[in-house]
Amino acid sequence: MKLLRELGIITISVSLGLGVGAIITAATGHSVPAVFRELVLGAFSDIFRFANTLMRATPVLFTSLSFLIAFRAGLFNIGAEGQLLMGGFFAAWAGFAFSLPPVIHVVVCLLFGAAVGGLWGFIPGWLRAYRGANEFVTTMMLSYVALYLTRWFVSPGGPFHGGRMAARTVRIDATAELPRMITGTQLSWGIVVGFVVVLVVWYFLFRTPRGYEMRAVGLRATAAEYGGVNIARTQVLALAIAGVLAGLGGASETLGNHRAFVEGFSPGYGWDGIAGGLIARAHPIGAIFAALLMGALRAGGAGVDRAGVAPRDLVEVLQGLVILFVVAPELIRYLSRLWNRRRAHGRAQP
Amino acid sequence: MGVLSLDLLLVALRRATPVALVALGETFSERGGIINIGVEGTALAGALIAALVTYFTGNAWLGIAAAVFMGMLLGLIHAVWCVYLRADHVVTGAAINILIAGLALFITVLIWDWRGRSASVVRIDPMLFTWVMLGLVVLAQIFLFRTRWGLRLRVVGEHPQAADTAGVNVYRTRVFYSVLTGALCGLAGAFLLNSLGRFTAGLVGGRGFIGIAAMVVGKYRPVPAFLAAYLFGFVEALSMRFQVLIPSDIALMLPYVMTVLVLAGFLGRTHVPTALGKPYIKDQS
Repeated sequence: MKLLRELGIITISVSLGLGVGAIITAATGHSVPAVFRELVLGAFSDIFRFANTLMRATPVLFTSLSFLIAFRAGLFNIGAEGQLLMGGFFAAWAGFAFSLPPVIHVVVCLLFGAAVGGLWGFIPGWLRAYRGANEFVTTMMLSYVALYLTRWFVSPGGPFHGGRMAARTVRIDATAELPRMITGTQLSWGIVVGFVVVLVVWYFLFRTPRGYEMRAVGLRATAAEYGGVNIARTQVLALAIAGVLAGLGGASETLGNHRAFVEGFSPGYGWDGIAGGLIARAHPIGAIFAALLMGALRAGGAGVDRAGVAPRDLVEVLQGLVILFVVAPELIRYLSRLWNRRRAHGRAQP
Repeated sequence: MGVLSLDLLLVALRRATPVALVALGETFSERGGIINIGVEGTALAGALIAALVTYFTGNAWLGIAAAVFMGMLLGLIHAVWCVYLRADHVVTGAAINILIAGLALFITVLIWDWRGRSASVVRIDPMLFTWVMLGLVVLAQIFLFRTRWGLRLRVVGEHPQAADTAGVNVYRTRVFYSVLTGALCGLAGAFLLNSLGRFTAGLVGGRGFIGIAAMVVGKYRPVPAFLAAYLFGFVEALSMRFQVLIPSDIALMLPYVMTVLVLAGFLGRTHVPTALGKPYIKDQS
């Protein structure tokens, strides 16, 4: 029953966002049915398009998990973007700096990405737990440090520059690549890693003592403390894991999709993760559907553009609107209260 | 003079202008308890609407007015979401940023058939904004710490129950200052449009976030926030001139690194408004 109500709220929120989006679509002189039709077709109509949707959904799956695990501990990780970039870069670095046998190389690269992403989450976690620094500001600020740091690394003149004019590293070794899942698409086994990680996060949160402590801290920190939970340590752990997850997302992008660290490869996957985590109502299984929605919007945008019914950027407008309505569940409750009152009122009248 | 030429100091002042405007806005917002990370998008929306209005009317002043109005509107939306709908402040701000970034591309394609770019528009001397900004910084400092309204605002951010008991309308105060924040961000966007002469999607380019950084480094006070913004502008201007010595990407990291250090208490103690980011639920009984 609770699940149903949550699902209902999410469905209404997403529909409200798309509804306002439809108004904007119509107001700017585009055909609403055509846009939504191409959106769906562009995301799902054949195996290649669906692979594209899944490819776009993969990094968002990781960043959604990253956001929601911190959220469960009562913390805001809005720096998944930076953790993704750091993880992505160092995974790529391990991919061209080391020579290792095939399977081991990929695993080492993933671990590198996870570790450096984790470090980028550990720092704000430690600062929050032991120095009282607001984690939503520090994670955001460290995101920008990561952005400029990795950009400097790979820009012409930087220490890891490996393209001619383009800001990117050299290609990673073939042994470090996450293989493509469907030939002819960019979908890699990164998504399978993502699904495994979903299960791990679910198991951790709901079936281990540490996960239980984390949720307890998120629900009521003082009560958890009376129960003997070390709040500071739990907070550090939560943000470090959040960093690991986002770092893995970056690693899966560089190892599976681009096969190098390319500056600007993320169109804001870290930010999408905030929306993804919220749409998922902070549940790991929900993150799969949330990531799929975000991936479908991005992939469908290309379809809308190709069909010439509207510029692709309309999709980003839709995305923003969906998020805006998803973050305000009170709005739905308020509307339903209003609805109930009016109905009650109507009945009272003879 | 050498390095410290007057020219360099002026360039730094110009670079600091939008950052200081945003920092000022964020100070008002956060002093009242509302976190607004949508300032980045709000400034971008201001620049976009200023470009649109100036393009169609040929009047830069109308564009500036529209930018301020647009900022106020977004500030109002943010406040309604945070205060009445009890949405999370950070996430609402992030949603505004994503929405405006998309709208900017979408609208430029529609109007100018150029993704993320407008035609060039008439402009006024951007130095005017700088003088206005300097005046506002001083006024805001006095307002916040020397007037009863400033005190009320700070109490709302510090202890909303106390403010409520003393007859201050917490909700309305927060909404009002959030709208003011939006207006200042819109002005920052208008400044950027008037210094470049055309709209581009990367026009704001993180200056909104640097504004938040400047506010934190300035410890929630207008004049120090301006000084922080000026420091960032100065280092940026310096790195532009000596790119061989400091890569610009490294210089660009400074505001963010400093913010983290300040928050961590390595650069003196900061008092963060106690009720920051928490919804206030008025006792209904």
